[in-house]
This record gives sequence, structure tokens and C-alpha cells, in this order.
Amino acid sequence: MKSRLNVIDNSGAIVAECIKVLKNAKWASVGDEIVVSVKKARPISDKTLASQSAAKIRKGDVRRAVIVRTKKEIRRPDGRYVRFDDNACVLLNNQQQPLGSRILGLVSAELRFKNWVKVVSLAPRVV
Amino acid sequence: PCLLHSLRLEICSFSGYKIYPSRGRTFIRGDGRTFHFLSSKTESLFHQRKNPRKFDWTVVFRKMHRKGISEEVAKKRTRRAVKYNRSIVGASWDAINARRNEKTEVRSAARAEAVAKAKEARKEEAAKRKAARANQPAGGQKFSKQQARGAQVKVQANSR
Repeated sequence: MKSRLNVIDNSGAIVAECIKVLKNAKWASVGDEIVVSVKKARPISDKTLASQSAAKIRKGDVRRAVIVRTKKEIRRPDGRYVRFDDNACVLLNNQQQPLGSRILGLVSAELRFKNWVKVVSLAPRVV
Repeated sequence: PCLLHSLRLEICSFSGYKIYPSRGRTFIRGDGRTFHFLSSKTESLFHQRKNPRKFDWTVVFRKMHRKGISEEVAKKRTRRAVKYNRSIVGASWDAINARRNEKTEVRSAARAEAVAKAKEARKEEAAKRKAARANQPAGGQKFSKQQARGAQVKVQANSR
């Protein structure tokens, strides 16, 4: 089953579909890297087209991403189970750095412990 | 690194019950608001958007209908206004107090005295005035103000 996730950075993609889980497991959770195919993307602005460094995300692109929110509950060390309202991810480049420069919305605090420092620092709120 | 939230007791967002560690679930909504649920029952009701005030086992309901509160109602403490003895500019507290505690007889005696004095003063004034009037020259006619001023003199024109 290919899950669809909301892309919550400003890379241009809106919806991504998970096509591979990059760990030796059946499913991925918050803080896991996955390979996604972009299913919906915003039209590329002229500025992005002109710039050399900005990533141009189009529909059908295959990219890497990290999961930042899941609707499936995650267990925290204090025994509490936490779940979000949707599934969300942030697109990454091949060096595991976020493609976008901004993240909109919440991310789970799990990211901190899976060493996604850059993502956590970009996020406006970590819960 | 631990995500231990210092093992604090949460309160169920629906029922108001205490949630001990490793019980229940936490739901973080898209807008960031966090909701804690004691059980799948409360969680389900929350997502059905039920109003906890309508469920008589919830704390909100009980509070609203004032159930089980009678034992805890403490006697209402009445506030007593403290009276202060304050002096005013022009009258020290002693003066005010003295005035206040004057006996009626004393007061009326003082008043009578004052009245008598005033009468005396007035009699003197009347006598003085009479004397002054008697000393005025006889045949003092009464003039009206207009007569005293005199007729208006018409200003003669000397230029044209």
C-alpha cells in the first residue's frame, strides 16, 4: 500500500506518495527516511526556474523524504501514545538535508532523537 | 535523551479524569492543540464531536450541575468594613470626636448663647445706624440716581 503524505515544506510539492521505506522494515514511522514520488506539486515560480540552486519539484519526481507526522500513534518513552491528525513529510536531497527552506506546521519531537537536527530547527513547532 | 514529560498526571480532555502514565492516548490536532484521552471511549466521543457536558459521568457535567459539591461548600466569610477614625483638614480627630460626643444640653446651651450674642450684636448695629442717620443734615432729600447724574449734555458738532 502506498501511503500518501502531505509535504509540509516550501519545496513546491504538495502531496507525495511513499514508494519505498529505507530501512529494513515493513513500515516507516516518524523520523524514518523514505523514497517518495511527488503526486501533486505547485507550479514552479519564475524565480525558482531562473535560480541555479533551487530545487525544481515537478509532479512525478522521485525524491527522498523524512516522515514528520503520522496518524498512526507512536509510543513515547514515558509510555504515552501520541498521534497526529495526518501524515506529513519533508523532502530531502541526497545529503539528507531538507530541500525547502521553511517548514509549515508541527513536527513530532521524535525527529530530535533520530537526529534530524536541521528539520527540527526549521520547524515552527515541535510537539 | 528522554522524552519523559516528568511523568505528570494528565487530565482527560473529555471526561476530566486523571490519566496516569502509560494509560490512554494523546491526540495532536492540525492546529497544534493537544488532547489527552483516558480511553478509547472518551477518544471516540471526542471525535464524534460530542459535548462532554451532556454526559453525566464527566467532570464537566458534574460541575455544571453542582453534583457532590455540598460537602465541600465552606461557610461564606462575610467581609466586615473596618471603621477608621480619620481627621479632616481644619479639624483634628479630637475636635471631631468632641463635637460628636457633645451632650444635647451642652449643645443647646451653646446655641442659646450664640443666639443671645447675635441678638445683642444686632441691637447694637441698629442703635449705631440710627445714631448715624440722626447726625445727617436735615432736609436731606432723596435724589434718584438719574437726577444726581444730571441731564445729558448734547455734544455740539464743531466739524463737518
